[in-house]
Amino acid sequence: MLKYIVKRIAIFIPTLFVISLVTFYLSVNVPGDPVEQMLNSNSEMGSSANAQASEKAYIDKREQLGLNLPIFYFSLTNRAVPQNLHEIPKKFHRQNLERLIDKYGNWTEIQTYYNSLKEFEFKVAKVQKDSTNADALINIKEKLQKLYINYDDNAIKSSFASITTNLNVSASLSEVKTYFQTVEGNYEKGVKGKATVYKKYIPAVHWYGTQNQYHQWITKFMVGDFGISYQDQRPVKKVIWEAVRWTVMLSIVSIILTYLIAIPLGIKAAAKKDSTSDKVMSTTLFMLYSLPVFWVATLLIMFLGGGDFLSWFPAYGVGEISDSDSFLTVFWTRFYHLILPMVCFTYGGLAFLYRQMRGAMINTLSQDYIRTARAKGLDEKNVLWKHAFKNSLLPIITLFANVFPLVISGAIIIENKFSIPGMGKTAIEAISARNYPMIYTIVMFSAILTMVGYLVADILYAVVDPRISYNKK
Amino acid sequence: MAEEIKQDYWSYVKRQFSSNKRALYSMYVIIFMAMIALFADFIANEKPIYCEYKGNTYFPIFRDYGVSLGLAKWPKDLLNINWIDAKFDKCLRAPIPYSTTNQDFFNSGFVSPFGKQNVASTRWRHWFGTDDIGRDITAGLIHGTRIAFIVGIISMSIASFIGILLGAIAGFFGDNKIQISRASVIMSIIFFFLGWFYAFMTRSYTLSDAIGESIIKFLGELLLSLLIFIGALFAGYLLGFVLKVIPFFKTKVNIPVDIIVQRMIEILVSIPRLFLIIAVIAISKPGIVLIMVIIGLTSWTEIARFIRAELLKVRSLEYIEASEALGYSRWRILFKHAIPNAIAPVLITVAFGIAAAILIESSLSFLGIGVPAEVVTWGKILAKAQGSKSQMWVAIFPGIAIFLTVTLFNLIGEGLTDALDPRQKK
Repeated sequence: MLKYIVKRIAIFIPTLFVISLVTFYLSVNVPGDPVEQMLNSNSEMGSSANAQASEKAYIDKREQLGLNLPIFYFSLTNRAVPQNLHEIPKKFHRQNLERLIDKYGNWTEIQTYYNSLKEFEFKVAKVQKDSTNADALINIKEKLQKLYINYDDNAIKSSFASITTNLNVSASLSEVKTYFQTVEGNYEKGVKGKATVYKKYIPAVHWYGTQNQYHQWITKFMVGDFGISYQDQRPVKKVIWEAVRWTVMLSIVSIILTYLIAIPLGIKAAAKKDSTSDKVMSTTLFMLYSLPVFWVATLLIMFLGGGDFLSWFPAYGVGEISDSDSFLTVFWTRFYHLILPMVCFTYGGLAFLYRQMRGAMINTLSQDYIRTARAKGLDEKNVLWKHAFKNSLLPIITLFANVFPLVISGAIIIENKFSIPGMGKTAIEAISARNYPMIYTIVMFSAILTMVGYLVADILYAVVDPRISYNKK
Repeated sequence: MAEEIKQDYWSYVKRQFSSNKRALYSMYVIIFMAMIALFADFIANEKPIYCEYKGNTYFPIFRDYGVSLGLAKWPKDLLNINWIDAKFDKCLRAPIPYSTTNQDFFNSGFVSPFGKQNVASTRWRHWFGTDDIGRDITAGLIHGTRIAFIVGIISMSIASFIGILLGAIAGFFGDNKIQISRASVIMSIIFFFLGWFYAFMTRSYTLSDAIGESIIKFLGELLLSLLIFIGALFAGYLLGFVLKVIPFFKTKVNIPVDIIVQRMIEILVSIPRLFLIIAVIAISKPGIVLIMVIIGLTSWTEIARFIRAELLKVRSLEYIEASEALGYSRWRILFKHAIPNAIAPVLITVAFGIAAAILIESSLSFLGIGVPAEVVTWGKILAKAQGSKSQMWVAIFPGIAIFLTVTLFNLIGEGLTDALDPRQKK
């Protein structure tokens, strides 16, 4: 047995590795720039007018988040793409440079063009604003920003033309003119003139070693450092710990309730197979099984939770408590708020488990040894609970593993609908805020927990049924 | 003469299924709903089916199809017409004279289906009420049927294709029946990456730009990429023959396909599905096609398991041995003899799978994730209900639609389970 468990855990590792790669890949490809997002949430930085200062703030923040490192141990690209492209700080600029590389294939020229563009930007920022050039400056700055994210030849040329006309508006702008001419020259003669498109078709592998984002993340993850949440700058561990309590509490209570109700009901129904009560029960629970959880939640809130019908239960949140409240008050407030979500958590699994229990029991009751038990005069209660029940437990135990993912997906909808600050709500918020450290951690944890669920199910399987042995073969 | 009863397998399954009245009637209702989905444009549409306008006769709904396919153009008179207010000389309107996008400004803000409505006649009544901005709920429900069915069917087609292929290969070949020479293994790996490089990496911008332009252009570009990819794999295969001259490369190695497929299944089931789907959708542009593809790509595991288990049984049967003795290739045996005999149980999973896919799609719509703003689905209508009495119908009708469809597909799945189970033989 121990050997089997060790073997299973050994298999977990490659599976987890692949899952970590998948999550990492998804997170890296999330649109939007996390650094910009964090700086914007921090108003002090966002208001900084000085271009150079805000650039520095950007670079510092990027370094702090570890986003200045290459993404993975190696990269598979083409000859045209330089090894150190990740050193270009701004994500949108980098993406645009990638497009230019794809189009012209000459990194050295593109880099010169990019650097001259930046130099021009700094020079423009230094120009003293006066009544003669105010409008022109605004126009130039706007077009400049466009140049950073344009790779289409026509779009670049129209920006060039517009900047040229604006530069001629005022004499105060004449000193930056030369810088702009360099930009134009670099683009026309360099980027376009010395295009080496063929490089794009030669594969290249760049090796970065362990100084990369994935390695940094996974090594920290293994020692329990999950990083900092981009949304509120708190440690992910703390945020998740606060959220996970709600989900775990809700799911444990609902799983217990599910088993407590479903097993006796299933056995009763199987014992009286095809009777009216069985048919009514089975049909009702079958319908429960198909009821979409978000519909039930909506209807419960509408009819029982403070709508215009009965306001028996609170519809949102987990209730306000203060430190001075006694345990009983706290318990009651929480309990009262969680009744409706609990109903939603429970009914789906209940119907599912009931069907399985009934099926397994019917199967067992048709076995010969049950007939023997009855023949030797055992009363029905004994037959059901002592002989049949034990042997029907098997499928129910394996389902323990299936109930778990069911609860997690349920949590996403239910917690969002009822505004419970649990994992499901946190997860959705993290995804919509492109909060990668949170997304990684949540996916990794739910994967680990699901796998543990399957393992526990397999072990219980062997415990309940001695015929199953994992040692042989 | 007594009527001959067909004894082949499928006729038997059909008889068994038909004897289960619940499943049979569910099937009829589903067919009816599929018809609604198919003809949704003719049931609920702002455009008339037939109209006479300024002396000309038009069939606007048909023309609409022509326009969207690029075969026809709108005449000047109809180009910017307001279909609902326009005075036609003669016209035959769809039973529900609203499209999903029509906003009835006189009846906006959740008008009840039971009370008084500000409409010209009962012909224009909103039978199931309106939503916050005055869109007709009936029209939304009818067109929502189409989305639900398309999502269910397409995603399960994708899932079945992947599931049957991978499950069958895993079950039929197991861990030690596919043997490939070292030359082929090495060449396949090298040319896999080369093919990937030329087909998808160098063309990545071409492909992503094509998505933005039109779906047809994208499919064309994708086809070209796939051709390059397959061509590279084929080149690798041919080069493998050349390399085999060297004895070292000629040695055959086992490809443990079963282990590989099992691990893939394990990885997929380890990530909570709804969460995975939401995470993938978050990084892409919203779109119904994307939702279908993602649901399809994440729900093949159950089908693969089923067919794998089935083929483990089938592969040791005598007729397989017989065809091996006849010298047929193993791939031919797999596709022509083994899979057709193992495919029946997949139908059960597909029926339940469609129900699950429809549930996932409506959950996503409900959460407001992935479905574009202009598309009306059941889940989206339902999401408009924010928990007050004045919006009851907004919650109840789409909820019933989802519940009914899911239940019916589940009942069909149940019926199939019984029909395919030999122990239930009557």
